[in-house]
Amino acid sequence: MSQSLRPYLQCVRSSLTAALTLSNFASQTAERHNVPEIEAQSSPEVLLTPLTIARNENERVLIEPSINSVRISIKIKQADEIEHILVHKFTRFLTQRAESFFILRRKPIKGYDITFLITNFHTEEMLKHKLVDFIIQFMEEVDKEISEMKLFFD
Amino acid sequence: MSIIQQHTSATLSDAWRTINIDALTEDSSLNFDTSTLHPPQPEISEAEVRQLAGQVRQLLRGGDPEGALRGCLETPVYNGEDAAKDAHMQTIIEVLQSIKASDMSPLLKSIYGTEGGSECLDVLMKYIYKGMAAVHPGNASRSPTKDASQGFSQVGGRPGANEPATAAMSVLLSWHEKVVEVAGLGCIGRTMTDCRRV
Repeated sequence: MSQSLRPYLQCVRSSLTAALTLSNFASQTAERHNVPEIEAQSSPEVLLTPLTIARNENERVLIEPSINSVRISIKIKQADEIEHILVHKFTRFLTQRAESFFILRRKPIKGYDITFLITNFHTEEMLKHKLVDFIIQFMEEVDKEISEMKLFFD
Repeated sequence: MSIIQQHTSATLSDAWRTINIDALTEDSSLNFDTSTLHPPQPEISEAEVRQLAGQVRQLLRGGDPEGALRGCLETPVYNGEDAAKDAHMQTIIEVLQSIKASDMSPLLKSIYGTEGGSECLDVLMKYIYKGMAAVHPGNASRSPTKDASQGFSQVGGRPGANEPATAAMSVLLSWHEKVVEVAGLGCIGRTMTDCRRV
């Protein structure tokens, strides 16, 4: 792993670990509903301060925590137009199969390439540190994957 | 009179469907007043921030980085104009950049050990995240789709590889790591949950 990547991923790891403290929280607007508050945005008091982690202006992660859900958006490095297309195709491939990824959001947040949505039900079912590991591993692999695809492209 | 005639172009459009009626209901949870979640904060003007920045620079020149860092962390701009907030962030980033990597940990430990040091590091964490969030306005102009006139260029170096923004980011990232080492994950948690935003 390159020297500058390590502090970036370490920062994402510690921020994610701190953000993934979720609890069950029923909707305050609709009775007997339970929605991810970060998506509903219907109660400002349960939305926490969003955190941005940036390595440079082209690589950054946005963590939007709330009481029962966390939204993690990743902007993948795109150095040129080919990488831009490859990232678009790659993330589209993944988001179209969002059901099999459980925590993948179908649509990325504006300005980012891919978004994950983790709710309290995911953290109850899955191990929290494994979820963090998965996101970190995804971030490591995706850069490699894109540059590999770019090599095949030539 | 037929009921059809009472329609105007305003009532025929479906723009009214997008109105969030929760926002118009006073008792709705959407209208929760988040300012009740923290005590009122004193308003700090830009002039005061500039004055503080001057003092902090003097401390830095005098070879007292700990005093400089403490000085700007003890008066965070929670309530003030955007210009004041940005100026204070610039001061803090300047101080962070001027401290050597080898001095970070001992300095943070000595701040953490003193009274009110834990609050200082929470404030530092807030500014580290704010500093990282502040970088993106510049990226719109350098999106790869913009320079389509050059065709599919692969030779162009990675944008942002050797820019001051990147250097500032790596400084903030290494500070972040050190703060977590000293103050633990709790300071990230407090950054997220504190409604007093910088």
